[in-house]
Amino acid sequence: MLVLGIGNPGRRDDGLGAAAAEQLKKRHLRSVTCDANYQLAVEDALACAAHEIVVFVDAGRGLRKPFTFAAIEPDPRMPAMSHALGPTAVLALAETLYEQRPEARLLAIRGHDFSVGEGLTRRAEGHLALALIFLEAFLKGVRT
Amino acid sequence: MGQKITIEPVTRVEGHGKVTIRLDDAGKVTQSRFHVVEFRGFERFVQGRPYWEAPVLVQRLCGICPVSHHLASAKAMDVIVGAGPGKLTATAEKMRRLMHYGQMFQSHALHFFYLASPDFLLGMDADPAVRNVIGLIALDKELATRAVLMRKFGQEIILATAGKKIHGTGAIPGGINKNLSPEERDRFLKGPDPLTIDRMIEWSQAAIDLFRDYHRKNKDLVDRFAEFPSNHLSLVRKDGALDFYHGCLRAVDADGRKVLDDVDYQDYVKHIGEETRSWSYMKFPYLRALGKEDGWYRVGPLARLNTCDYIPSPLAQKEFETYKAYTDGKPNNMSLHSHWARLIELLHSAEVIKELLLDKDLQGTKLVKKGRRAPEGIGLVEAPRGTLFHHYRVNDDDQITMANLIVSTTNNNEPMNRAVNWVAMNVLSEKPEITEGMLNRVEVAIRAYDPCLSCATHALGRMPLEVALVDAAGRVLQRKVR
Repeated sequence: MLVLGIGNPGRRDDGLGAAAAEQLKKRHLRSVTCDANYQLAVEDALACAAHEIVVFVDAGRGLRKPFTFAAIEPDPRMPAMSHALGPTAVLALAETLYEQRPEARLLAIRGHDFSVGEGLTRRAEGHLALALIFLEAFLKGVRT
Repeated sequence: MGQKITIEPVTRVEGHGKVTIRLDDAGKVTQSRFHVVEFRGFERFVQGRPYWEAPVLVQRLCGICPVSHHLASAKAMDVIVGAGPGKLTATAEKMRRLMHYGQMFQSHALHFFYLASPDFLLGMDADPAVRNVIGLIALDKELATRAVLMRKFGQEIILATAGKKIHGTGAIPGGINKNLSPEERDRFLKGPDPLTIDRMIEWSQAAIDLFRDYHRKNKDLVDRFAEFPSNHLSLVRKDGALDFYHGCLRAVDADGRKVLDDVDYQDYVKHIGEETRSWSYMKFPYLRALGKEDGWYRVGPLARLNTCDYIPSPLAQKEFETYKAYTDGKPNNMSLHSHWARLIELLHSAEVIKELLLDKDLQGTKLVKKGRRAPEGIGLVEAPRGTLFHHYRVNDDDQITMANLIVSTTNNNEPMNRAVNWVAMNVLSEKPEITEGMLNRVEVAIRAYDPCLSCATHALGRMPLEVALVDAAGRVLQRKVR
């Protein structure tokens, strides 16, 4: 299983994805690899293709709940100008290039402040704690 | 009815681009602008922070080229700690070079294969849904596989030299904090195949062949598309060689006359001005010697191969000679030739990486130097997209009191506007209907400069583009969001 955190810790709550991956890594869950980067790029398809289950973790704007957790499917649509890819595009790349289609989820954790600055807001930290309890249970096969 | 075309973002975005093209009642272009919609906040963010944090903090500017910001900032801080240019240990300078050339390699590979090649290989009129790397896979799976592995190879070099993906700490004021172990070195030299430096060199050469083949078959398009005269600026090594990590400032005009030469970049303020315009958050830099009107310049691969005298690696030098011969040694002002130049730089980066990997200095243990403390420091590197300036002042309490950054994309602000204007005038103007293919040509023109608006707006984010068609009254008649 692969947990991929996405986001920029230099934009306050945008760092939720990276923080989730970092905190989860410290829990040393069996068969779980954690990684994080500012954004996804083509080589992440290679990592996704090598795992049966992939969970992308990103900060979410406009959420009404502390977090959402949903299955996602490959989608080949890509932005014209960005060097970065979205999770569904990475999955599409893994499927097309490596003929692998991991079971994928997107965990979006509610962020409140995306301005330039360091550290998560107190509210985002609370959402992160709840999301990690859920994610750990999912990764251990307790939740689906 | 007069019209206006705009290009805008939909996803979570902090920096994004917008192209606005105004048409009059007859469909004739009256104005075109490429602008960004984000206020810069990063320079203020670093104020008050201890100077030694800057090389880590500035990586947050960009998810694609954090290494460029890391190194430009570290070079500025070298000056602050009295270990400026020429004073680092051999191990420190070479480790930084390895990190930087690793980044150039991955960035150039990503840009060409992922963003630019679909335009060439699938055609500028192809449906945007397939004119991307997925479409490329359908056309040439081997090529797409190489693209991923080349990017991965460069990323692995960065990881081995910078320490980690987010907030790498490889470069510190006065040096570096790690060397390259023999195990790390051997992994890049020996593999597992195909992730070896020899394979990367081979694939880089193949990429140049691919472009040249396309050029041969589409000479008129590649040569004429968004071609316009300009000045060109970059760092060059003291002896005129291409150098991405360090050098003096050199600028040439469209005919190759030197406007600046052998300029110590610590004096950049005397030579480079920054103009603001009400309609864009991005500044417009210019050469003071030529003034605001005529002093704008290009940076990046095209500019670098126009300013340097030669490339100090054999395979890339051979390609450089062919490239220069195409314009009889004169500056190349053809926007799409940026891709050709970028691929020659890709090959050069791979050659330099190999040379560095074979250098025993990378296993040295003298990592840091310090000297007399200075209150101000300026660091420049040639980032993948062009010259990157970092300028800081630090007080006696070691706090940063001033930061000024001129990023590559900002340096290319006016040239990108000129390129968009070229498409507006030559492709869109006075046409009865604006097609998807026409709008894509606007993107192709901008893409040649490989802009990173996250950097330019000093905020990390994606860079979607909005193109809209607007009438003389300001009503948007057609809008495309990518």
